[in-house]
Amino acid sequence: MKRDEIPPGTLYLLILKALSLHGPLHGYEMANFIQQSSDEILQVEEGSLYPALQRMLLKGWVTAEWGVTAGNRRARYYRLTPAGRKQLTVELSQFERVFGAIQRITQIA
Amino acid sequence: MFLDESLRRIRMLFQGRRFQKELDDEMRLHRELREHQYLEHGKDPEAARREANRRFGNATALKEKSYRTWGWGWLESLMQDLRYGVRAMFRSPALTIVALLSLALGIGANTAIFSFIDTLMLRSLPVKDPAQLMFFGREGESGITDDIASTTLYSYPFFREMQKRNSVFSDVAALLSMWNSIHGTIEGQDAMQPMRVQLVSGSYFPTLGVQAIQGRVLTEADDTTEDDHPVVVVSYAWWKRALASDPAVLNRKLILGTTKFDIVGVAPPEFFGTSVGEAPDMWVPLSMMHSVPPLWDGYKNNFWEAMYLIGRLKPGVSSEQATSNVNLLYQQIIRSFPDADLSARNLGYLQRAHVGLTPMSKGLSSLRRQFSDPLGVLMGITTLVLLIACANIANLLLARSTARARELAVRQALGAGRLRIMRQLLTESLVLALTGGLLGIGLARIADRLLLRMISGGPDLVPIDVSINTHLLLFTFAVTVSTAVLFGIIPAFRSTRLELTEALKDGRGSSSKGSSRSRLGKILIVSQIALSLVLMVGAVLFIRTLVDLNNVDTGFNREGVLRLEIDSNVTGLKSDDPRMIAMFQQIEQRVSVLPGVKAASFASFLFNQGSWSTSIRVLGQSLNDQVNIKHNVVGNGYLATMQIPLLAGRTFGPQDTATSHKVAIISERMAKDLFPADVNPIGLHYYAGYTGTEPKPKEEIEVIGVVKDVKFGSLQERPQYIDYMPNPQHPWGYGTLAVRYTGDFDAISRSVQQAIHSINPRLPISHIGTLDEQVSSTLTYHRIVAQLSAFFGLLAVFLSCIGIYGLMSYMVGKRTSEIGIRIAIGASRASVRWLVLREIALLAIIGVAIGVPVTIATGRLVAAMLFGLHGADTVSLLASVAALLIVALLAGYLPARRAARVDPVVALRYE
Repeated sequence: MKRDEIPPGTLYLLILKALSLHGPLHGYEMANFIQQSSDEILQVEEGSLYPALQRMLLKGWVTAEWGVTAGNRRARYYRLTPAGRKQLTVELSQFERVFGAIQRITQIA
Repeated sequence: MFLDESLRRIRMLFQGRRFQKELDDEMRLHRELREHQYLEHGKDPEAARREANRRFGNATALKEKSYRTWGWGWLESLMQDLRYGVRAMFRSPALTIVALLSLALGIGANTAIFSFIDTLMLRSLPVKDPAQLMFFGREGESGITDDIASTTLYSYPFFREMQKRNSVFSDVAALLSMWNSIHGTIEGQDAMQPMRVQLVSGSYFPTLGVQAIQGRVLTEADDTTEDDHPVVVVSYAWWKRALASDPAVLNRKLILGTTKFDIVGVAPPEFFGTSVGEAPDMWVPLSMMHSVPPLWDGYKNNFWEAMYLIGRLKPGVSSEQATSNVNLLYQQIIRSFPDADLSARNLGYLQRAHVGLTPMSKGLSSLRRQFSDPLGVLMGITTLVLLIACANIANLLLARSTARARELAVRQALGAGRLRIMRQLLTESLVLALTGGLLGIGLARIADRLLLRMISGGPDLVPIDVSINTHLLLFTFAVTVSTAVLFGIIPAFRSTRLELTEALKDGRGSSSKGSSRSRLGKILIVSQIALSLVLMVGAVLFIRTLVDLNNVDTGFNREGVLRLEIDSNVTGLKSDDPRMIAMFQQIEQRVSVLPGVKAASFASFLFNQGSWSTSIRVLGQSLNDQVNIKHNVVGNGYLATMQIPLLAGRTFGPQDTATSHKVAIISERMAKDLFPADVNPIGLHYYAGYTGTEPKPKEEIEVIGVVKDVKFGSLQERPQYIDYMPNPQHPWGYGTLAVRYTGDFDAISRSVQQAIHSINPRLPISHIGTLDEQVSSTLTYHRIVAQLSAFFGLLAVFLSCIGIYGLMSYMVGKRTSEIGIRIAIGASRASVRWLVLREIALLAIIGVAIGVPVTIATGRLVAAMLFGLHGADTVSLLASVAALLIVALLAGYLPARRAARVDPVVALRYE
């Protein structure tokens, strides 16, 4: 099955969206969510979630705390902060603007 | 927002280890869950793990990327470089030790000298707004004068008028230009102890804006009427030392002379008065000057001029405005004194008099005047030494970077950026420099104590604070970093600009690429030799100056004389009291008959103890009131004690009493210049105490003897006009007793003290020493400069030798194969040795050729500090050049010998 790399710059958007939909998630769940929600089309290099998460922690968009998974394993759960929620709308509108522009160009017959 | 982010960043820095572990855990969980998923999908374990890892990506790189997110990457790599730098230091211990030692000495010496420059010349007085303070006149004069046109020393009534009438100062303060160095008692204690009393006006503390830390400071109220304000403010140091910081200090009392003084306050610890390097023990209002020994009587005298004046400028007043106001008032006030002698001559002096105002934000200091030149020279010397040390280390690092060329090339080939490698090399030199700097600070502490002792020139340390402060640390840090850059930058540039393929090829550099590197090394060596020459010639000049000064004929015999001080003020008698005169004579008589003592005499001035001078008029000669005669009041045995040869006439005897006609013995130079030529001066008369106003001589004196000229104030001075007068005729409250003795100093010292106390058991005796010490203590400054410049000169030469040795060893090593070939085809060992030595000789000669003009130029700068020599002294120059050449060749001899011993077979097999 051929999978597509996610467009650059959209990883934050995807993580923010995932967290806003599902509440606290750990990294593995995020990777699975992105993959499944996109009908297995979008594929992240799974490890690259972690540098992105660090950056988001630094920016204060998410907080992290340790919890226990269903399989009774220790995992770090990330949770959206109010600042993160605000960022999500920023990222969304930016994405739509860019995506809309690209679409307009590609639709010119 | 930004603040939050920074806070998170910093928290992260301190939790680095936990961060790594949590990230590890998190990532491991991720991969394990994925692996587990694959297993459930039926893959075999090996494939499951491989697939999970593949999907995850490069974990190490990702971890690093996560870490870098937090922005501490630079710190991380700095720590790495530091670790690497420290390891590199340990890898070549010999190089490291030499580099560290020379750095520590260079930086330490610079820091030590700078701490003195800082204390004496840069630091402001610890008072309120020191920049507003103005000193009346020019520093350098002290004592008492009745000169109508004195512009530095003023009378108390003048001070009061100036304070009242000026419109430019918010306040004016006066202080006596001398200390009262006396012995007093603390009430309730028997023993007398030395006390340094500074008499000041009531406005002194308020003008300076200094507050007491206990009790109060002196105020105008303490200085209103004469003799009825027995109060004293003591210094913090004295309170601590003499009263053991007694909290009830304000209930304590002091007895000075015959008066009981109340201690009303303690000055703050940092306050040492207004003179740097002189810290009085206590301050007493000038209104009490007649109660503090030696009982000066000048409070109401318009022309008892002995006071310094300090004014605090009103805000917005310029120093020009103040000067013109002060000079206007100066003329008015002096002319308004009813007892002013306004003869035509005096009016002329007065008209020409101009009071200059000197800013005194840094305080007064005779120490500063005395030592600013030598300190400047020493600073120059130590800077040169540091430069030589830097050149040396640069050379060593260059040699080492050659050895590391391959390592650096490999790193560059693997993709390390040039900047990154330069940063690493600079960090390494910084590590070296910082370690050297730390050692240097340690060294500076020791050097400071040593220098302070040298400057003090006696058992009592000069009270200045040379401890470590922010100024000093900043200075040392700046020096350290600039040295690191100086010796680090060239090797760093060099070693990153290389052709990789050349360097990656093995080989001991049969290629010619290395030649530019050794050319740089050669330039460094040449400059080292040139600088060393400058320092060596300087050292030779200063040492010769010291030796010459020490050999100056003093006119008296400095050896075999014990000298001590007594404080005759404690008797409470005036110096012209017959009992006082008798007491001095009794002491002289009793001491001179002690076993081992040949002669003993009091004198008002032995050597370099100040002077009392007036103009004189020789009967039958015209008056020249610009010529001053130094008067020395002495006991009858003075000439015998000092062994000053009597050229004509007689010495003093018992016949010269208070009531007999006045007599004097004059110096040879005075007889020659001031008395009629071709006439025997014995029996001639002159008038002394001539005030320079009208011809109203105070007394007529007959010359009874002529003695050889002696040095009076300093060893450098020209022959002086001196007359000696017997004590009964010119009573002097003596302090200094000289005793000519043979035998054991300590035994004589004990018996002399016993003899003095058998006459008066209460007389405090202090400063027991020899005349020779007293004479050589005046050479303190020459001695310091000579010793230190010799030390640093030797150090410079030593460092240069190491530099030469290092460079030559390196070059011999590089040319091993060439030398091997030369020997193989028949070159003799001697010619090979000469091959190397020739190179050194050439470098040394170039260095000398550059150094000689530089030396001559710098010699001019220090000419004023030399005695009987000038900056371009040929003998010193030639001797230094010869010594330097010999030493350079010696340093090169070892590598040359090694070159000559090269075994051609071994050398060529390596190729």
